[in-house]
Amino acid sequence: MHSLKAQQWISLILYGGSLLLLLEWIFPLEEVTDTSFTSTFVMYIVLCFILSATQLPYWIVSPVKLLGLLFVMHQLYFEPTFFTKAWFELFWLDLNTNLSFLWARDWVSLTSSFRTLLFLILLWMLSYLLYYWFAVRKKPFSFILFTFIYLTVLDTFTAFDASTPIIRAFIIGVAVMGVAYLQHLLENENMRMPAMKTMVKWIGPLLIVIGFSTIIGYAAPKYDPIWPDPVPFIQSTAEGSGYGDGPGGGVQRIGYGENDERLGGGFVQDDTTVFYAQAPKSQYWKVETKDTYTGHGWTRSQDGQFEHSEGSLEGLQEYSDLVDLNDDHAQIQFVEPGFLNKLVYTYGVEHVTPVHDGMSLEFNRITGEVLSKVDGQTRLPESYEIDMQRPFFPVEEMRTVTEKGELDQYLQLPDSLPDRVVSLAEEITAEHDNRYDKAKAVEEFFSSNGFIYETQDVAVPDGDEDYVDQFLFETQVGYCDNFSTSMVVLLRSVDIPARWVKGFTEGERLTGEDYFEGHQPEYEITNNNAHSWVEVYFPNVGWVPFEPTVGFNNQSSFSYGETLDDILEEEEQDYEQPESSETPELPEGEEEEEDESDDQAVASGSMSQPLKYSLIGAGVVLLTIIIWLLMKKRLVIVSKWKKRKMENYTDVETFTEAYQFLLRALAHKGLVFGEGQTLREFAVDVDRWFGENHMSQLTAYYERAIYRDESIDSHHAEVNQLWNKLVNDVLA
Amino acid sequence: MTQQMTTQQNKIESILQNIEQVMVGKREAIELSLLALLAEGHVLLEDVPGVGKTMLVRSLAKSFNLDFKRIQFTPDLLPSDVTGVSIYNQKEMNFEFRPGPILGNIVLADEINRTSPKTQSALLESMEEKHITVDGTTMELKRPFFVMATQNPIEYEGTYPLPEAQLDRFLLKLNLGYPSIDDEIQMLDRTSSEHPIDRLEAVMDQEDLLRLQEDVTHVHVSDAIKKYIVYLIDATRKHPLFDLGASPRASIALMKAAKAYAYISKRDYVLPDDIKYLTKHVLSHRVIISSEAKFEGKTTASILDDIVRKTIVPIERG
Repeated sequence: MHSLKAQQWISLILYGGSLLLLLEWIFPLEEVTDTSFTSTFVMYIVLCFILSATQLPYWIVSPVKLLGLLFVMHQLYFEPTFFTKAWFELFWLDLNTNLSFLWARDWVSLTSSFRTLLFLILLWMLSYLLYYWFAVRKKPFSFILFTFIYLTVLDTFTAFDASTPIIRAFIIGVAVMGVAYLQHLLENENMRMPAMKTMVKWIGPLLIVIGFSTIIGYAAPKYDPIWPDPVPFIQSTAEGSGYGDGPGGGVQRIGYGENDERLGGGFVQDDTTVFYAQAPKSQYWKVETKDTYTGHGWTRSQDGQFEHSEGSLEGLQEYSDLVDLNDDHAQIQFVEPGFLNKLVYTYGVEHVTPVHDGMSLEFNRITGEVLSKVDGQTRLPESYEIDMQRPFFPVEEMRTVTEKGELDQYLQLPDSLPDRVVSLAEEITAEHDNRYDKAKAVEEFFSSNGFIYETQDVAVPDGDEDYVDQFLFETQVGYCDNFSTSMVVLLRSVDIPARWVKGFTEGERLTGEDYFEGHQPEYEITNNNAHSWVEVYFPNVGWVPFEPTVGFNNQSSFSYGETLDDILEEEEQDYEQPESSETPELPEGEEEEEDESDDQAVASGSMSQPLKYSLIGAGVVLLTIIIWLLMKKRLVIVSKWKKRKMENYTDVETFTEAYQFLLRALAHKGLVFGEGQTLREFAVDVDRWFGENHMSQLTAYYERAIYRDESIDSHHAEVNQLWNKLVNDVLA
Repeated sequence: MTQQMTTQQNKIESILQNIEQVMVGKREAIELSLLALLAEGHVLLEDVPGVGKTMLVRSLAKSFNLDFKRIQFTPDLLPSDVTGVSIYNQKEMNFEFRPGPILGNIVLADEINRTSPKTQSALLESMEEKHITVDGTTMELKRPFFVMATQNPIEYEGTYPLPEAQLDRFLLKLNLGYPSIDDEIQMLDRTSSEHPIDRLEAVMDQEDLLRLQEDVTHVHVSDAIKKYIVYLIDATRKHPLFDLGASPRASIALMKAAKAYAYISKRDYVLPDDIKYLTKHVLSHRVIISSEAKFEGKTTASILDDIVRKTIVPIERG
């Protein structure tokens, strides 16, 4: 057995390096996408690489790779026994279905299995490409560079932590570059592979450099990032999107409100209509509540029980007899609910009537969620009617509550809450002796202390920083989540039970359009109307909504006893109801809906924005490739043209052009006609390079043409032949 | 290239070989001297005594069967010692002209910087004008006429260095330099019994030489080459390290020398390579290097090399 030649060893090492680098591309996938087959992919890559490295003829390698691909597909997706008729039928069906989706540009409907198939084919191709780059051309730099870019982008914009992978990639990258450089040296200097001892001398310093720079790089102090980590913001906007699955797909994405665990960061406006509503009076649309503040956001301490109902929501909201109730009626019609899978309802809701039959309700007293079920599946009705007893909260009664809290669940505060928050709460409420006035004082605290409503430039608390503390004492800039969360925390600090409510504001009142029968005012509620506010518990009344956010008004009605002032005040309050256009409101938790609704748009039809961009992108890439090819091949193309001209014309101008083209082509090859060099000297250089004397011969003719002013007519054939030989040599 | 020209050029090779029998390992100097002879120019040899200056010029004269004259320049030499004098012949009752050494074909002007400027200019003017005037009579110099003047670069005591204007009249300035060890041993071998110069046979005669000189004038110089010459000359004028650049006469000299060199190289057209090669020899005595350059340790030759390296060679017709 011959041992492998040294050159092949080097190629193998380089190829191995490329495998390791490619694996660095695969590992993050588990974290940043919804795939969970990373290990399978890795196995397939290793298989492909080993096969490529064996250098067996392609008619052996390719079928084995294909077989491997099918086997992976079988393991992941197909149940029938491998390589049976049923298996192939299923596979064929899957393929066909997806191809038709592709044809229809229905990207969202593509199944996971097909995506995986495409990905495996990509990996297959990569195993070839990397073999060519690393083992044949031995030019690893660009792939290493791209690996770094990939890792840094992932680290910056996703939750993936690349601090270790980037070190690995660095070590692999430098080692591969070192080996490639060694290889180039050996090739350029035409050296034989040095003996093992010499090799150690070569490789030793490389290893030392890698080790040294790795340690230095690892241990050296580093600058803090100059801009805040964009991950929380991106998570808040992008969660739920990503690799959405088509019909029948596997992984379900989280829905509405799940991501309140980490609040903060700015958001962009989105005026997609979520639903239309018809109601006698503008009011907030409630969806659910949360009770546990973590220091960064909201979770639930208990999920509560869902109670089955055929329409009645009795017990969802309980008010005491002290609350005056007013019969009202509202209608809801969903347009683009996105990931909102719960019903919206009003304060005082009694009964919900789905317009369609076969639908039942489930509601949760603890969390305030109302779900609609069709055949046991949670499905939002297209529209429904709400019967309600609109409450008028009696302020005087609420003022009578002075004792400290009950309902421990709604007094929860994180241990990490800084003391100054509690001190501030005590300070705000010190003057008041009852629960209502205290709550009112906290509610008004924000508007009277210069807090600013802002949606774009909103801070995200660092790892151990408290969300409320940051807002109250540092930024004082934020949107509804900041205000409402802070109010709940401040109230709980002084033992007032309070909870956090999510829903929508009243929306924009429509004039002209008629989405509903009847004459009540109609409203359009968009994603911008998503909102959060506060409910405070009064034992003699129930849960009463408060609105701390600057620029928003509490839409609930309060009764102030019999005094004229109170009535006036109430009317004034109604009068002040803001126009919906002034409520550009979209807390981060709700933004996912926007993305989802976009996805829906893609699914439902014609060419969508992302597709357009990807087509433009593909066009740009194609154009770049064409230009690059033209640039690369321009000399060959021009040579064809020159050749023809040379054949047809014998004048000095043509010869001069042709000769100077040859000089350019030589310069492209690195043989540059130097300043102050004569043609004869240059020709000698060129001939030494090619080991022939064509250039000198041709140059002799050229010299006679330009320095002796001689015609080349009589030597035309010979000149032509020499020129062609040289051009072929140069462009070969 | 005419058939006749080719045969003539073949003879040149035999001349060179002939002289090489005497001057061992001095092919370049021989070529350049022959070049100057063919171009009807004159040569200034600047070298220490004993390296074979006289031998070179004598063998050249002998190869062409030419009349060789030697003038040893001394401080008391008079112009008439160079040109010749009219002496009253009592028998014939008239003045009779006794020709001076300048009326030979090949004149060796040894240690030209030792004589007074008056005598120097008598020689140099006649070199340029190709005739002399003695006592009101103008006499044409012989053709071919070739002066090889020597200067000792080491001794400056009691010398009259030639002014730049005079130096300009020499086509080339050469250095012979010491022979290499091997060459010197070979030289000893050859001179052990009798000097090879005594055995040297003529290869051509005077007529042949005149024909060669005629041929050289017909060597083609293309516009591109003329441009290249002027670019180079212009570059010396603009070069910051030269106090004085080369004159237009230098351009002519460079062209003439290049023609002769091309002819020796068996071509009937001049190449940029010829110009490149000759620049140093033709221009080095025609420029004045600045004192800054000297201070920087540069020499005329190194600056000229630099100019040649940086001047772009025309590679298109016209």
